[in-house]
Amino acid sequence: MAWQLTLAATFELRGGRTPCGRAKPPEPRLASGARPIIKLLAILSLFPFGVQRSTAAENEQGAQLAAMCAACHRLDGRDQGIPSIIGLDPKKLSEAMEAFRSGKRSSQIMNVVARSLSTEEIAALAEYLAARKRGSEQP
Amino acid sequence: MNCWTRRQFGSLVGAACLTAVAPRVARSQARARVVVIGGGIGGATVAKYLAANAAGIEVTLVEPKARYTTCFFSALYLAGMRSLESLTHGYETLAQRYGIKIVHDFTAAIDPVAKTVDLKSGGKLPYDRLVLAPGIAFKFDAIEGYDEPATEIMPHAWIAGPQTELLRRQLDSMEDGGVFLIVSPPNPFRCPPGPYERASLVAYYFKQFKPRSKILILDAKDSFFEQELFQDAWVRHYPGMIEWLPAQFTGGIKAVDIKDLSVKTAGDTFKGAVVNFIPPQMAGGLAQQAGLADQSGWCPVEPTTFESKLQRGIHIVGDATSGGDMPKSAFLANSQAKVCAFAIAAALTGSARFAPHLFNTCFTFLAADDAVSDAIALEPEGGTIKISEILISEVGEDAETRRQVVQAANGWYDAFTHDVFG
Repeated sequence: MAWQLTLAATFELRGGRTPCGRAKPPEPRLASGARPIIKLLAILSLFPFGVQRSTAAENEQGAQLAAMCAACHRLDGRDQGIPSIIGLDPKKLSEAMEAFRSGKRSSQIMNVVARSLSTEEIAALAEYLAARKRGSEQP
Repeated sequence: MNCWTRRQFGSLVGAACLTAVAPRVARSQARARVVVIGGGIGGATVAKYLAANAAGIEVTLVEPKARYTTCFFSALYLAGMRSLESLTHGYETLAQRYGIKIVHDFTAAIDPVAKTVDLKSGGKLPYDRLVLAPGIAFKFDAIEGYDEPATEIMPHAWIAGPQTELLRRQLDSMEDGGVFLIVSPPNPFRCPPGPYERASLVAYYFKQFKPRSKILILDAKDSFFEQELFQDAWVRHYPGMIEWLPAQFTGGIKAVDIKDLSVKTAGDTFKGAVVNFIPPQMAGGLAQQAGLADQSGWCPVEPTTFESKLQRGIHIVGDATSGGDMPKSAFLANSQAKVCAFAIAAALTGSARFAPHLFNTCFTFLAADDAVSDAIALEPEGGTIKISEILISEVGEDAETRRQVVQAANGWYDAFTHDVFG
């Protein structure tokens, strides 16, 4: 399906963590069939469309994931009873989500949310939320 | 989540190239046009997320009413704990901040071939994609005697606004010692815990001001959502005040008589001083007219796009939809709307799509300082939508835990309505 394609492509293009959350080795050992693919991607990235996708795609993923957080957490930094989650250290936020996922931290709603997200989704989300500014009304 | 191997990835690159060169509406005309009909939670959320995130899309929201009153939290209004004004939201911010064109009009007809919407006032709106958020309609022919005029005597108060105010007035003028009769509908219906939360909070009001009064729930079902939590709370907070009669006890609801405020079941006939009749439900009228509902009365949708399974190019969100385990709730309507908006943006402008996530949480008040919640995650599975994770409050939790849920519920209302209308 389309979203799976985009997800995979995003992480290959970024050259960061794999979708499984493992760190990528410093010198990628590419299967012989992968080299033409990288070349192809390099060509694609010459076009504005490709460039946009390779640099902004993760933020876009983070933004789309953050949209679901916005159903309970205001993303403009205000807190009327449910804590703000913007502007935090992304590592700490990821750790908190991992703790909710494992059950080390207990919260009915956050346990359910964390368990339905992958490690790489949590990373994308944490980076996005960390970068959000107070008062921003971008949903 | 899948672990992608390089081999799998390579096999998909060809498809990626096709995606990159596929013709899109945005390239063949100035801006793609999305018309959203229905300014409730689902419709307003789709409009906002499309307008705010996809610069290439022009969004028009068609809604007859000037303002929207939330059905969720309306039990707090019935109990005198919140004003209806505090539950009412306008569309000004959606227009000003996100550039959504708001059209306060009724929809006369939809032409899915010409891709136009005819407005009652005579205007015509062309669209590239149409989103319907028609909410619910009532099956007025289902129970003898309960027709539209009967709602003025026995309010349903299941679409918030004047109906809710009418029910509040009736409860307010009811004498102490009266019976408040609630008729709870068959599944599926909007807000599964709703009728029982309403019973709880009206009991909270009675306990303070009309302590000799009783609440009788005549149910079309034999069990209900979070039943143990409710029944535990009723014993703790309102002993002897609330009685629940399942369908297997009464034989089912057969007829109403508005002249003497009675409800006839297969066995007995019950009279109330105030009767809140919540009728059987189906997808909103527009969905029925447009042929988007199947024989169940609800609208089947594709689980990753919320596009109608019966009419391509038209998406449906909110309570009108059907599919797998999805409950009919405002929270889920908002969640569906975001999945739908990102799918439409991807189709019209080529923006990225990611694995869709659907969540639902219901905050349910049992008393002013006692609330429970449930949380579910849902995922597309085999052409439908299934619950993948679920956690629900438990009987026996301490008072402090329940007070914290009350605090979270109030914070949620603020954040949620800001997410939809702010």
